[in-house]
Amino acid sequence: MRVNVYGGGLSAWVAAACLAKVGNDVVIDEMAGQQQLALGELSVIGDEPGLLPLIKQQITAGRLVRRQRDVHIGTTIHWLALQPSEKLIAERVVGALSDSGVTGLLVINQCNFAVGATQELQVNLATTGDMVYVPDNLQEGMALQDFLQPKRIILGLDNDEALVKTRSLFRPFTVNLDALQLMSSREAEFTKFAITGMLAIRLGYINELANLADLLKVDISVVQEGMGSDPRVGPHYLSPGCGFGGQNFDAYVSTFSSILQQQRDGSLLKAAVDENEQQKELLFRKLWQHYHGDIQGKVVAIWGASFKPGTASIDNAPSLKIIDALVSQGVKVRVHDPEAVAKLQQYYLNEPLICYANSPLDAVIGADALLLVTEWPEYWSPDYAQLLGRMRHPLIIDGRNIFDKAMLQQYGFSYLGVGR
Amino acid sequence: MAITGIEAWVELQIHAEEFKGAHLKDLFEQDAKRFEAFSFSYDKYLLDLSKQRINQQTLNNLIDLAHQQELPSWIERLFNADKVNDSEQRAALHMALRQPKGASLHHEGKEVVSDVQASLAKMQTLVEQIQNAQWRGYDGRPISSVVNIGVGGSSLGPLMVCDALEKYAPADMVALDVHFVSSMDGSELEKLLPKLDPATTLFIVASKTFTTVDTLANANTAREWLLAASKQPVELVNQHHFIAATASPSAAESWGVPISHQLLLWDWVGGRYSLWSVIGMPVALKVGMAQFRELLQGAHQMDEHFRQAPLGDNLPVLLGLMGIWNINFLGIHAHAILPYDGRLAQFPAYLEQLEMESNGKSVNRDGQRIAYRTCPVLWGQVGSNAQHAFYQLLHQGTEPVMCDFITPAVRYDGEGDELQKQHQLSLANCLAQSRLLALGDSSMTESDSGSKFKHYDGNQPSTTLMLDTLTPETLGGLIALYEHKVFVQSVIWEINPFDQWGVEQGKKVATSLLTQLGSSLGDGLDASTDGLLRHIQQQTRGAGQ
Repeated sequence: MRVNVYGGGLSAWVAAACLAKVGNDVVIDEMAGQQQLALGELSVIGDEPGLLPLIKQQITAGRLVRRQRDVHIGTTIHWLALQPSEKLIAERVVGALSDSGVTGLLVINQCNFAVGATQELQVNLATTGDMVYVPDNLQEGMALQDFLQPKRIILGLDNDEALVKTRSLFRPFTVNLDALQLMSSREAEFTKFAITGMLAIRLGYINELANLADLLKVDISVVQEGMGSDPRVGPHYLSPGCGFGGQNFDAYVSTFSSILQQQRDGSLLKAAVDENEQQKELLFRKLWQHYHGDIQGKVVAIWGASFKPGTASIDNAPSLKIIDALVSQGVKVRVHDPEAVAKLQQYYLNEPLICYANSPLDAVIGADALLLVTEWPEYWSPDYAQLLGRMRHPLIIDGRNIFDKAMLQQYGFSYLGVGR
Repeated sequence: MAITGIEAWVELQIHAEEFKGAHLKDLFEQDAKRFEAFSFSYDKYLLDLSKQRINQQTLNNLIDLAHQQELPSWIERLFNADKVNDSEQRAALHMALRQPKGASLHHEGKEVVSDVQASLAKMQTLVEQIQNAQWRGYDGRPISSVVNIGVGGSSLGPLMVCDALEKYAPADMVALDVHFVSSMDGSELEKLLPKLDPATTLFIVASKTFTTVDTLANANTAREWLLAASKQPVELVNQHHFIAATASPSAAESWGVPISHQLLLWDWVGGRYSLWSVIGMPVALKVGMAQFRELLQGAHQMDEHFRQAPLGDNLPVLLGLMGIWNINFLGIHAHAILPYDGRLAQFPAYLEQLEMESNGKSVNRDGQRIAYRTCPVLWGQVGSNAQHAFYQLLHQGTEPVMCDFITPAVRYDGEGDELQKQHQLSLANCLAQSRLLALGDSSMTESDSGSKFKHYDGNQPSTTLMLDTLTPETLGGLIALYEHKVFVQSVIWEINPFDQWGVEQGKKVATSLLTQLGSSLGDGLDASTDGLLRHIQQQTRGAGQ
């Protein structure tokens, strides 16, 4: 089949690459006007493991084309994968499709604009075709697998006639499928937001518990295990930490939160979002309290800057808030991250208080504290003796609770976790 | 020669005698072009004096008086940093605070504009740190509430401006909670503190001398609150929760504010003229530093106007002379300030200090008692509310009162029909009241008058001061306009507007009484004070039982 994909973000590129991989002829329109960057320069692609090679492979095979003039005239399947802020662009695309005179169109909407947005777009599309909302389930760092072998697919359609075409489009991705759920587009949109909001609230709740555990001298990891073993609660999304970030999660939650906020003041989700912003500074506050506010001129090592392991993305990452706070207080920051350093350098330009280390152990030289912000695998089991030897003051503040507190204390470190 | 003997003064007395019977109603009837003749505009300000009881002769005589009192050379002395505050041997250089970058003014051999700019730059650094949520309280969270502790000039100015310009805070600026605390009895703090989180509250202690009892008492209470909540050492609390705006760095430091968190002003800034200095920090926090600089810019433009415009076109001069005419020649000793714009609600209180503390004097610059009236009793509130409070007296009482009506011409542009209608309503009331005060019954249709109870004499004079719109810039200009008006009057009256000896003595008496409150009875008190002290002691013992 011939598919046109619209969007320049991660979900657009993943959809385009995966649709091409299973044999479709795909044109991707990044909606970026004249400023088409080389693939290697697109960080959304580079940050996602395996995505760049797959795209190159599909381009070489001729199944994936970046938009050029007049390609695929008469394509009937269109795929919108735009950012939550790009609703106007979606309206323009759908308007143009409706004006093109082609009929029998199928437009997949994967954008998270609002509940009811797909129906509104359907009005623009008029009788020339059907809009179907299909929420993406991409987790950054595992996006290809999530797209190619999803466990669940939700199809939000308001017209049974669109079902056959939609099913056949998704057929190659149904091998591992546990559930294919059909619902109206409004319900599907609501579901997508509801899931994201639920996860944010869960994380917000466990973080709140962890902060309380700090005060009450209780180890949250024990509590967390106890909670997770209750089948009504379950173990997922129960790890406390120093806040969540990422381009999509953050944007979805904020969008949904503002929808809720319009209905009534002070929603639960809004509180969770606000708390999360505060949580991102948690490690800074622990450092501040440890040194009684006297941190100017101190040296602080940071392990992990990407918003989660497995990606180079620093969008809304807790590390940024921490580094901002440290630099404002005149602290020297030594950062290590396996992938995100280039991004950080771009973000902070020539900030003289920040330097970038080549190895985790290099980062802690002369440090008055080590802040573990992102739990990359290589940080889980460091050479403790060397670590101890290189630090000026052996203080470890563990934002993801990956270290064994008792053992670190045996080595002679001061240890501060999140809720333990 | 005493001022009452100089030619222009005598001329004015004769003129006033001849003119006394004139009613504003007749003056308007006689001259259809009265507005053109007696309204003056400069830039974004319109000063309408046509509802004052004057004619061209009055104005000419008043300007003669200004010349005979050497007003132009006094203006130059003021701007040239002469010691116009002679009783304290100081210059009054508040205009230097709003000089643009790169300007220059020498005072006692020192360039002051660069000092001013350096102090503002330091303030801007702290303001940005707070607004960027990077000023941290004792537990590492960013500051979200700021409390200004100050009294008199260290409170009234910033409070008034914050209130007036709140709307001009840029939308993307973090909204900080800014509060003002001044009363020495602690009432405001008692009410405010329970609503604040100590870990995220910063106090600005604003005191030029850093000895003001009211302010230090409040600052001590604030610090006690922080210490109790934080359980942190006092040095840490001082370091992270206090900024000082002061001309006495050593006093502020010995109280506990580190030098790095002190913002400097100077001896040559009078307290009631200090809004333009670092005392204005709450404005910058609430409304934005860029807007604070616009405020300064607007005031600076008014300075230039005051310095350069001929007396007959000079708004501060005309406004000042109008007061002289009313007070000294028409015998009016009450002055109402009536803004028709709720954003200027604090403006009357601000002017109360500016005018009455400056010109409430009865001794001239040579130390001689003077034989003529000076500053009148001055009060006011938002005009449309005052209509339901004290306007009855203005319209039908026995006291002659002069009024200043202050309003923007345009408001709520692009903000919705109903709000714009409200502004129209306010304007209509502003114009109606000044018209009724001036014309009395003749402003009404026949059927309205008749009964003696419904009779309006009219002939109460008023000035209308209209801004194009109320912005940081025009508010700056408006305040500077009144500052200079006060100076103009002081020159005519030959008094020093920049000292306040009448305020000092009360502080001393209170200090001596404070020791007697706790002890056995003091000697040498008058019978009333002695009796009151004994009553307090009885009640205190009673309450303790």
